[in-house]
Amino acid sequence: MSAVAIGVDVGSTTCKVVAIDAAGAIVARRLEPAEPRIERQVERLVGEVRSAAGRDLPVAATGYGRKRVPGARALTEITCHARGAFARTGRPGLLVDMGGQDTKAIRIGPAGEVVDFAMNDKCAAGTGRFLEVILGRLRVSLEGVAGLAAGAARAVPVSSTCTVFAESEVISLVAGDEPLDGIVKGLHAALASRVAALARGAAGADEVLMSGGVALNGAMVAALRDALGRPVRVVPEPQLVGALGAALSVAPAR
Amino acid sequence: MILRRARYELAARAGGPFLAALDDWRRRHRRRSARESPFAPPLESLRALKALMTTHYLSGRYADGAVPVAWVTSGFPVEPLRTLGFHTVYPENHGAMCGVQRIVPALSDAIEAEGYSRDLCSYVRADLGSLVTGRSPAGRLPRPDLLACCTNICQTVLYWYRDLARRFGVPLVLVDTPFVYGEATPHQLRYVEDQLEEAIAVAERVARRRLDRAALRETARLARDGSRLWGECLATAKARPAPWTGVDGFFHLAPIVALRGTEACNAYYRLLLDELRDRVARGVGGLRGEERHRLVWDNLPIWYATREIATLLASRGFNFVCTTYTNAWAEAAARIDPDDPVRSSADCYTHVLLNRDLPSKLALVAGLAREYGADGAVLHSDRSCKPYSIGQVDLKARLAGDLGIRTLLLEADHGDPRAWASELAANRLGAFMESFG
Amino acid sequence: MTREPYIRRQRTEHGRRAVAVLPVHYPKELLTALDLLAVEVWGPPGAPRGDAAGRIQTYVCAVVRNALAFLASGGADCVDAVLFPHTCDSIQQLATLAPDFGGWGKPALTFLHPKGPGRPGVRRFLSEELRGLAAKLEAVAGRPLEPERLAAAIRLHREIDLHRAALLDGRAALPLDDPGLYALLRRGEWLWPEDHLAELRAARARLGTGGPPGRVPILVTGYVPEPIATLETLNGAGAFVAADDYAAIGRRVVRGGDGPIADPWEALLDRDAAAPPCPTRATDQAARMRHLEALAARSGARGVVVHVVKFCEPELFDVPAIRRTFAARGLPILVLEGELERQLSGQTVTRIEAFAELLGAAGGAA
Repeated sequence: MSAVAIGVDVGSTTCKVVAIDAAGAIVARRLEPAEPRIERQVERLVGEVRSAAGRDLPVAATGYGRKRVPGARALTEITCHARGAFARTGRPGLLVDMGGQDTKAIRIGPAGEVVDFAMNDKCAAGTGRFLEVILGRLRVSLEGVAGLAAGAARAVPVSSTCTVFAESEVISLVAGDEPLDGIVKGLHAALASRVAALARGAAGADEVLMSGGVALNGAMVAALRDALGRPVRVVPEPQLVGALGAALSVAPAR
Repeated sequence: MILRRARYELAARAGGPFLAALDDWRRRHRRRSARESPFAPPLESLRALKALMTTHYLSGRYADGAVPVAWVTSGFPVEPLRTLGFHTVYPENHGAMCGVQRIVPALSDAIEAEGYSRDLCSYVRADLGSLVTGRSPAGRLPRPDLLACCTNICQTVLYWYRDLARRFGVPLVLVDTPFVYGEATPHQLRYVEDQLEEAIAVAERVARRRLDRAALRETARLARDGSRLWGECLATAKARPAPWTGVDGFFHLAPIVALRGTEACNAYYRLLLDELRDRVARGVGGLRGEERHRLVWDNLPIWYATREIATLLASRGFNFVCTTYTNAWAEAAARIDPDDPVRSSADCYTHVLLNRDLPSKLALVAGLAREYGADGAVLHSDRSCKPYSIGQVDLKARLAGDLGIRTLLLEADHGDPRAWASELAANRLGAFMESFG
Repeated sequence: MTREPYIRRQRTEHGRRAVAVLPVHYPKELLTALDLLAVEVWGPPGAPRGDAAGRIQTYVCAVVRNALAFLASGGADCVDAVLFPHTCDSIQQLATLAPDFGGWGKPALTFLHPKGPGRPGVRRFLSEELRGLAAKLEAVAGRPLEPERLAAAIRLHREIDLHRAALLDGRAALPLDDPGLYALLRRGEWLWPEDHLAELRAARARLGTGGPPGRVPILVTGYVPEPIATLETLNGAGAFVAADDYAAIGRRVVRGGDGPIADPWEALLDRDAAAPPCPTRATDQAARMRHLEALAARSGARGVVVHVVKFCEPELFDVPAIRRTFAARGLPILVLEGELERQLSGQTVTRIEAFAELLGAAGGAA
């Protein structure tokens, strides 16, 4: 099958480009850490995908750099994540997208449309970037974090939700000889409770969908499941969901 | 009805499980061995305080349907309600208990989910969160038949109590006290007096009885005497060493807030006063070691960290000898006239500290520092109490610059520990203490 | 002409003194009747001038912090007094902080409007507060208040409100974008009322000659349309303000009340009583919700934007009720908490655009 549309997701930490075929399947993908010169990086990645397709394709862009992609239709991450997740799962419901700078709770309607959404406030605690920094300080790898938290005998309470305070609190817990696994579990629980607060009004016991780079952190997925009291399902290729949704919105109607 | 009343009366006389906040305080206190604690042994009166407050909260559990119940702001002129036989509940007091037990974040999450901002006062978030979740350190609070709100402490209570009125579907009486720049004008006081009379009329309807004006005079007398006794208790800390700490005062304050205008309240303060005076006579201080420096505390307590802060300071010989917060309940004594209870309480409750301009506040803090021989002050900059906190930056400059009082501005929240970082605060307090040399 | 030269020319050409006024509600008619120019201070937006904002903690709203910085840095030196209405705890404290601890050396007046209108005793109290304020304003103006001039001022402000209401109600037929509409309406915060009236008349003549840039009508409620980039972004995303409940704008437009004026003081009280519901006056919350529902219905709004200043307690306390009210009607709602910054954060832009996409303004349904 050949590509029919390109989606670009220019996030704060990573830049994603996908091409989809007429059935909506991803046929080409690029994912790189975001470079300071967004335009140049996007041009290169889109060029790669386009030359693989062998022809000019409609482009849509999302993410915080969406307006800096020339010739692309700009749409917000909220609309795109909803579309991407809906295309992948075929169901309405609650989607939690945790990216580098923002966390969003998006309610998807029966046609894949956005019914309602909420975003975290300015404070960056509870976002991917914050987790990355703090796990780095604790020398915990993304691969190992889920197992570490799951094995903790108990979660050490972390009460601060301001980035600066949480960091100093975690460091002092380490200094105070609290077990590392318990701190990591407590940290994720604290952040998950913030996310759960965003998901207010989304009552029900249905599975919650999760997208964005943080969905690759198994400890966060587990913490979110506990905080919401509902199963959490990670959308396949969670980092590409926004780019997929963007591509879908400029794909020719089937 | 008779059975309910009997159960309420029984609960009000029998005792019961210890008051959560005080219990917690005791526990923390005991955690250290007596040798390690920087404080003198607890006051004997504490036992009576516990019994009194436990009884109050326990009887509250059986108040529904037995006696009329009013939920009241801390600054509401409560004397008419007391006289009409209302059981009074102070949500702020309850909020403080939630703060001590560090459950505000959980309660707040529940209410934030309904769209309430985290920037709203943590007492409000604790109270509404407690209603939504059913979690309470007091077991449960009796349902109100009346809500009584006075804006002399803040405008926040106005919005808070309107919310409660909607939730419970009961009458709300509002006493809107014009903020006092300089002195209140006669027409402003008359406005307050009019509203008090209106509040009495509503309360009479709810209580289904007429207010006995002679009995009101007696309640006003008790309230005035209670306030006076409380003031005398506080004043014992002018002695060197002070017989207790300002932090003790935060807890011993409970009766004058929640039981003002009752003989039980006054009896308690007579007991406490005797003990404090006895300590002064024997030269026993609130600190175990030498009292090297004496401090003033401004603003509400940081309920979840009060003990932590006081202990840190006490271990280096610093004692809070007075607080503007506890002092606020001693101020009433001067203005209440039992022979003219409504008019005088309009005057009294309009002129409370939080309803007055900043020069009045500066004069108060400076006066307290002078009377109590304090050489330092900690101003708690409270995210949850703007009327108490705005002006503190200038207050600090004036205390330090004009009066030579070393002053620390310490930012926190009286109920929500999420805005608090122990280590950062310990650093700041440590540096503050070092500045005394 | 911008504010400062305008204020100076009012003084030199008309002998008018000026009074800076903090938000929200005050009897402007008294000032007009005394030939005093009211100049409102809503912040002002942007980074605070000078360093006096540091005298107020960062958890207090930007309106109050910026206002102190503005006053203390001489921003209002061209006026003769400042009036502080009893809007909230923070402005109440500012009214003692600035004059008593530094930042404002000229007369500082307060207007303690009662909370919870409609209660017994409120009207008499307000009447006396108004007369007390009038006496202080007479001193600032250096002239006595004449009842005929007060009646004339009330008539003038009635007419201004009539035009403002017509522009807001006919918004969908007015060829202005939202920044343009609000630039016009907000000039009323400092223009001499007759000058403002002339501009309103001119704008009203354009009603029916076009429409706003967007397709999707929205109800906006909140404090003040700052930063204006909020509404630029909204327009850019295909939506426009079809119904206004800003404290600075719609909540100060008094409708009705065009009868003869027998006693100007009574007429002034009647105008106050007829003002739209506002949480800073602690009007009944249920009445406010009915008012908002009516605004939404009349304008055909497809969504609601709640645009509040961070830390603004009176506004924030009503947000849950607004959510409940419009959830029941199936109208989506977006809550924006700003801090009077000049630029919007990328995140806020995303929120606004996503909301417009959700309403089908730009992105269309999936």
